Amino acid sequence: MRNKLSHRLFMTGLALLAAAGLAGCAEIQQAAEGVARNSGNERLAKTIRGGGTLIGGLLPIGYDEERIIGQAIALQVVARYGGVYDRPDLTRYVNLVGRSVALTCDRSDIDYRFAILNHDSINAFAAPAGYIFVTRGLLKTIKNEAELAAVLGHEIGHVTQRHILDVIQRSKQIAGVAEAGLAYAKTNPDAFKNVIDGAVKTLLDEGLDQSKELESDRLGVIFASRVGYDPAAYETFLTRLRTLKGDDPALFKTHPDFSSRLSAVQSTISEQKLPATGILLADRFSRAASGAL
Amino acid sequence: MNRRHPFLASLIFMAAVMTIAATAFGETLYVSAKSAQVRSGKTSLDPVVANLTLGDSLDVISRNERWLHVRTANGIQGWIYATYVSPSKPAGGDNELAALGKGFRRTDTSGVTASAGARGLDKASESYAHRAGITQQHRDAVDRMTASKIPDEEIQAFLKAGRLGEYAE
Ligand SMILES: [Zn+2]
Repeated sequence: MRNKLSHRLFMTGLALLAAAGLAGCAEIQQAAEGVARNSGNERLAKTIRGGGTLIGGLLPIGYDEERIIGQAIALQVVARYGGVYDRPDLTRYVNLVGRSVALTCDRSDIDYRFAILNHDSINAFAAPAGYIFVTRGLLKTIKNEAELAAVLGHEIGHVTQRHILDVIQRSKQIAGVAEAGLAYAKTNPDAFKNVIDGAVKTLLDEGLDQSKELESDRLGVIFASRVGYDPAAYETFLTRLRTLKGDDPALFKTHPDFSSRLSAVQSTISEQKLPATGILLADRFSRAASGAL
Repeated sequence: MNRRHPFLASLIFMAAVMTIAATAFGETLYVSAKSAQVRSGKTSLDPVVANLTLGDSLDVISRNERWLHVRTANGIQGWIYATYVSPSKPAGGDNELAALGKGFRRTDTSGVTASAGARGLDKASESYAHRAGITQQHRDAVDRMTASKIPDEEIQAFLKAGRLGEYAE
């Protein structure tokens, strides 16, 4: 009797597990595990849970894990880009602009923090969990607060859309992640390091998919516009970058060419009817940047 | 639907339609900003009558372009800047799947994130820094970044000085 029940439970468990695997439905699997455990079959529960590590790797990464991944990537960004530029007033200003934009972004429940990289190149990066960087070179290229707001909005967009986490989850290295979960940072630091190094390579060397960049361009201008900045400022900024860098993909391998980006921004402004508020705040930007760049 | 119970099926359908209609009529909105103020009038100069946070629900009484006349869950009436609300409840934090994923990955976050929340780098990131040979100077930079806080009032003052958000015009 007990054996028969066990067997039936086992078959049910397997069927549920198969369904969970096929449909990616974790609830089914958890239910199966619960059924097995409640019936006193700890071994079966463990088997089902064992399959769960595989599925666990495919489930979204939670915020606790995201923060650790974000910090590790941020450490690499700082190390690769000459450290943080030690100008507390300017850093505070960038944070005020960035956090104002983040206040009404599509993921306003998490903290966003901004730092300036002591580097001449024109660049900006976003690591998961809201770690956002702009280079000194980028700030030199920017003419007003509305441009800065849209640039920071673009980076905030990468965070709200979890772009880097998506790269990590799609990477083959996920096998290592799925095996041990967040604890892998502690128990299997080599696997964790591989995951981070892969993500950093994508972020700094190879660049994200063009679709992710264009999505962030659209979000950047939308988020900045929600606060009241004039969306045309981002067009002006991208046009200036195109003049500076050109549309040569070799020169700008980590982003789509500026013409595609400009047309994405222009269509977003018209489709979303983003208001031309005329708010650029060039004076406030100049005051904050004067003598600091 | 069940062919043997067409009556029951249509009853369920009607109930569903009525539920949707009722929701549209009462019009409940949710705070989509990290924090938001309800004011006694429809300008940013009017005094704050309620402070709300992400996900709080509101009933709409009437609309006036950029401002909405609303009633909070506590029954307080006032005006809120339209950009701060959305018709859908914001997800906020981890969704159920992310929470489940954490469970499946047998996460013991207690040890790993002991220093989380309050300030500074998490232990796991610290040990990564050590392993990856990140200098102390660079660790301190990300540590400071993690710990840095700006009070809400200062961000509001910054928006106000720039005539941004609800302080426009
Ligand atoms: Zn980008």
